[in-house]
Amino acid sequence: MGTKRSWEGQPLELNPQDTIMAEVETESAPSILSIFESFRDELDEHHDRRERIIKKSRDITALSKKIIFALQRVRTTNQPLPPKIAQENQTRFDQIHALFEGVVPEQLGINGWRYQRQISAGIQEFIEAVSFDHYLRTQTLITHAECSARVPPGILVSEEDYLMGLYDLTGEMMRFAVLSLSSGNATATNATENTASDSEKSTVASSQGGIVVDLRAIRAGFEALTVPQRHYMFRDMGKKQDVMQNSVEKVERAAYGIVVRGSERPSGWTPDLSGAVEVPSY
Amino acid sequence: MIDQRIFENLQTKIDEETTVRDELHEIVQTLARRGRSTQAILSRAHSTPADQLKPVLDDVTKEILAQKQEVARLKAVADQHPFYKYNGLWTRELQNLVASIELCAWLGGLQEHKGPSSTSFMTIEDVGKFLDIPFNLKEQDAFHLTIEEYLLAVIAMVEELARLAVNSVTLGDYTRPMQIGNFVKEVFAGFQLLNLKNDILRKRSDGIKYSVKKVEDVVYDLSLRNLVPKGGSSA
Repeated sequence: MGTKRSWEGQPLELNPQDTIMAEVETESAPSILSIFESFRDELDEHHDRRERIIKKSRDITALSKKIIFALQRVRTTNQPLPPKIAQENQTRFDQIHALFEGVVPEQLGINGWRYQRQISAGIQEFIEAVSFDHYLRTQTLITHAECSARVPPGILVSEEDYLMGLYDLTGEMMRFAVLSLSSGNATATNATENTASDSEKSTVASSQGGIVVDLRAIRAGFEALTVPQRHYMFRDMGKKQDVMQNSVEKVERAAYGIVVRGSERPSGWTPDLSGAVEVPSY
Repeated sequence: MIDQRIFENLQTKIDEETTVRDELHEIVQTLARRGRSTQAILSRAHSTPADQLKPVLDDVTKEILAQKQEVARLKAVADQHPFYKYNGLWTRELQNLVASIELCAWLGGLQEHKGPSSTSFMTIEDVGKFLDIPFNLKEQDAFHLTIEEYLLAVIAMVEELARLAVNSVTLGDYTRPMQIGNFVKEVFAGFQLLNLKNDILRKRSDGIKYSVKKVEDVVYDLSLRNLVPKGGSSA
């Protein structure tokens, strides 16, 4: 630290009339800088950790997306996955697990919630993958507890992440249903078709358990949730709700198309799914 | 088959969280209301000569102590929950309070709460001790004052001081702008030591240089006209 100088360039002398300021200059000048030096170390540590977590979160997101792509090649529900896809995804799940293990020491104690936002995107994508996997195998919705069990203990799966993951799941279910309908030869299609045609006749056909029915039930579940606006608790919820409703309607329209025009359908005909099938993903 | 209990459980969790947020929100509202009245009184410093500042500072101290009680109430509730989950609810008001405390201390109030090492501003330790709350907790998950909050409060204080430098001249006080100039420049130098990322702290601290400039302009004007008091601090 250099000598304090007056603005004329003279080395600064302490003035007895100005004792308060003199003290400030002699004592607080070095102390401000040393205080900030310790702050710098703290903040550096914080930023480094934050970035490490973001990186892992991105890797988890990428792997989860690959799992979802692989699952979209499956054509059945409520049955074991084809061994090749199952095996492929198991490696990815293992990799994700290892990444989560790496995040655990970064999120000990108080840091769990501190960096929750950084890991959140990865967790949501992971839940989308896990819940889709779970749905294809069992045709049921994975619970929050089951999701938490799929990550290492120190990783926090918040209700928000779980809920947002489920919203994204509806998009995947929509894509899956539409793909099955257009390929037109899978059990999933039949289930959907049966449900749709049954509901034509009898209005209630929930026991059929097709994707349409499940999607409707999920939609109803989501719509029944009361989330107070005043706390901005789930920031993306409004947007996700719209996307989810669209997805459900797309599948309903596809099922309608099969029922109305199904009988006229020549072999190889695929229903006209006006409108894009892309799901905006977050 | 979709198990509707999944959604019922979610609703329960959402309701629980809403209750917590409502409770915290109510306290923060009170803190905010008192904070505004603290700041209103503190802003009288802009139109009060330094030698008549004492009653103003006494009033401010009274308000700050009232806010301190709200902080204690907040701490009692917040300590029952993960700190960073709800930190966003009160961080703003806590920053405002710390900024008021800092400014009040810089102006000569709260003398008995300052640490021995500094006379012009309160360190994060001093503020923590005064408010009776921990600071910069890294392991224990409990209510505390974070470094970021403290630094943001210091920035707010610097901005207020820049304004005070101008107003001091209007009041005929040519010494205080010099003192402010020294202090603000030291804080500015301190912030330059930090490696800031693209976050709120970075955005706010970018503003310090304008505060420094504002004060330097005042000092320049005074020096140019030979108005710098003899024996005054360096500029």
